[in-house]
Amino acid sequence: MGATASILWRYTPLLICLALWEIVATAGPFANQLLPDVKQVAEALWALILDGEIVNHGLRSLYRAAMGFGLAIIVGSAAGLLMATFRPVRLLVNPIVQIFYPMPKSALIPVMMIWFGLGDMSKIVLIFIGCLLPVVISSYNGARGVNPFLIWSARSLGASRATTLVQIVLPAAMPELLNGIRTALAFAFILMVSSEFVIAKDGFGYLISQLGDGGAYAAMFAVILVVAMVGFTADRLYGAFVRHQLRWREP
Amino acid sequence: MTRSASPSLPAARTTGRTAPGPDAPVAGIWRGVYRRLTGDAMIQILVIAVLLIGWETVTRLGLVHPFLLPRLSAVLERIFNNMLAGKVFTDLGLTLYRAATGFLIGTAIAIPLGVLMARNTAVRWFFDPLISIGFPMPKISFLPIFILWFGIFDTSKIVMIAFSCFFPVVSATYSGTLGVDKWVIWSARSFGATPNQVLREVVLPMALPQILTGIQIAVPVGLITTVVTEMLMGGPGIGGSMIAAGRFADSVGVFAGIVEIALLGAVVVKGVERLRAYLLRWHHEARH
Amino acid sequence: MSGQSSSGSALPADEVGIEIRDVSHHYGGRNGQGGVTALDHINLQIRPNEFHALLGPSGCGKSTLLYLIGGFIPVQSGTIATARGTVTGPGPERGIVFQNFALFPWKTVLQNALYGLEKLGLPKKEREERARHFIDLVHLTGFENAYPSQLSGGMQQRAAIARTLAVDPEILLMDEPFGALDAQTRRVMQEELRAIFERTRKTVVFVTHDVQEAVFLADRISIMSARPGRIQHVLDVAVDRSGGDEVMKRPEFVEIGEHIWGLVRDQAIAATRGAH
Repeated sequence: MGATASILWRYTPLLICLALWEIVATAGPFANQLLPDVKQVAEALWALILDGEIVNHGLRSLYRAAMGFGLAIIVGSAAGLLMATFRPVRLLVNPIVQIFYPMPKSALIPVMMIWFGLGDMSKIVLIFIGCLLPVVISSYNGARGVNPFLIWSARSLGASRATTLVQIVLPAAMPELLNGIRTALAFAFILMVSSEFVIAKDGFGYLISQLGDGGAYAAMFAVILVVAMVGFTADRLYGAFVRHQLRWREP
Repeated sequence: MTRSASPSLPAARTTGRTAPGPDAPVAGIWRGVYRRLTGDAMIQILVIAVLLIGWETVTRLGLVHPFLLPRLSAVLERIFNNMLAGKVFTDLGLTLYRAATGFLIGTAIAIPLGVLMARNTAVRWFFDPLISIGFPMPKISFLPIFILWFGIFDTSKIVMIAFSCFFPVVSATYSGTLGVDKWVIWSARSFGATPNQVLREVVLPMALPQILTGIQIAVPVGLITTVVTEMLMGGPGIGGSMIAAGRFADSVGVFAGIVEIALLGAVVVKGVERLRAYLLRWHHEARH
Repeated sequence: MSGQSSSGSALPADEVGIEIRDVSHHYGGRNGQGGVTALDHINLQIRPNEFHALLGPSGCGKSTLLYLIGGFIPVQSGTIATARGTVTGPGPERGIVFQNFALFPWKTVLQNALYGLEKLGLPKKEREERARHFIDLVHLTGFENAYPSQLSGGMQQRAAIARTLAVDPEILLMDEPFGALDAQTRRVMQEELRAIFERTRKTVVFVTHDVQEAVFLADRISIMSARPGRIQHVLDVAVDRSGGDEVMKRPEFVEIGEHIWGLVRDQAIAATRGAH
């Protein structure tokens, strides 16, 4: 079997699902009611692309997700490393982590609305908080699990504590940290869409609700599928990045 | 996210300062550990107390507008009144009911399917690409479709929650079942276990740590999803109550809701952690 | 289901413990093309109640041969038969002990030992007695209620041996059972295994790459070559073993060991070169 054929074979189930969708949408008891058919959705998507609407809303959403997610990675990994290295930091930060970690972050949406209004800031802060905890915890666990011999070797070779932290502890904690960041990435998209459903005047989530309220179901399906594919693609790109980063590990 | 940053775990001795000398008497080490743990716990409780007192003081002094941050005492009073009126229990009860039902439905489909995928090549061929695409996508974006199909009452909420919980559990079950090493299976077979017995008595227990890890991802995701569905569709339930409070500019109500859902989340998440520790008491992770 | 059919090779039970006739095995490849030939036309008769070691470098197919006898992987060509008939699948009359112990980690030592006895359908009281007897035999008394993860490697392997012995198999298959243990523990375990063998007298097939271990334990040794796996020599180790630890220092043991090392050495060198 050639490479193309095997990829085609692998994704045949998706084509089967598309065919099933088309059949249910056009024939049988549910025809033309609650499920637009594949062609209608494709046309609606094309229209959304042509008038630039989906791109504008999408970029707004991705900007929010990227800001919150990026800030969470910087602050979270630093906090986790410091918690693992310095006891006072651990004692100060750990209780806060323990309180916030089991809380469903979507419950903060109304507070974000009260504090930051309907604009970008309320979503960015929400995504930041949601992504922060998985990053902090994985960074802390990763740094805590670092082989002490590595640290002793570095110190005995004359590395300062700060150098050791950046050059030894951080790389050694990397596999676990990168895992936590992957969880955070998933949370970023969930919270992005959720907050835009509840409070927003633009973005993917807003566009979906608006189209649904207007009865433009084909377009609504189109945007939902785009959001799903964006989330999937982001995860795949991140996976490829991680494999590249961790190529020093055994395959 | 499977391990919490538990306060009782001493850090790796990255500094080398806290490590007692190798010739320290054993009893002395234990006394030291005990003192350090109790000391740490005290300090951490103190941190929380300082934060709470700070919240109350700052709001009392009028340093923050009460709409942005209501007084802690006002929030606690509201929760107390909600309890007297029974509102806390109906809100949290409904939220918990929806979350639990959705989670159970999702898991009840996910675990058998994950096992089947690991054992049957046709099932694996069909579902593997669907699940590897479905796992990382933000399932919550499908909510308007479920509302369209199932209306704005419990059905659409529960279907949404089940859909969200399904993916982490199915992929964990699949990889956990696939990863069971053949020696243990062979051992059971050499004692005369039938294929069904091997599945029930060997494969599922061996895959249990991974399945529980999938469940520990599904539970918080399920709670987040529940709150969002309630916020979008309104009505009773903690999410609906919070959105209603927000709409009436009742920030005390919003904060009371946050504290309530945080408590529910803590109980559920800690409960699942306890369950894991109990079910895996044979596992080496239980003795860390 | 015992995993055997009574048709096929019908040698008298008291002459042959395990009869391996013209067995070949390939991994990978298609229709016999390509892939690796793990076993190439193996013929071997293992006598009843003898301790037989399969000795060879890693990759010589000795574990594959053991799994074929166990019935865990299907025989591709040739036949394997025991006193019960041709092997077609696993069965409780052929007990196995693996290098990585393969205990059920969620069961205690006692529950592990009970597992096979439950499958045999013995009454509860007898199950309990037999499990405790064999736990005692491997010196794990006091650890009945410990989980495997609480035990050292040596203790885990004792538990695995007890679990297998408890069902009283006629044949005991051992796949480098002490390979994962440290040197001291391995010595102790070897002595105890030999002692248990003297008392229970089962047919034992013991896979190892350690010449000393084979010489110390086995009555007969089959020396295997690598890629394709073939049996080069079959040797008797007819020596007096009384005296425990001191045995290994006796001249006849040293002599046999050196003789076998001479036979194995070329194979080992060929195997390491072939692997790179």
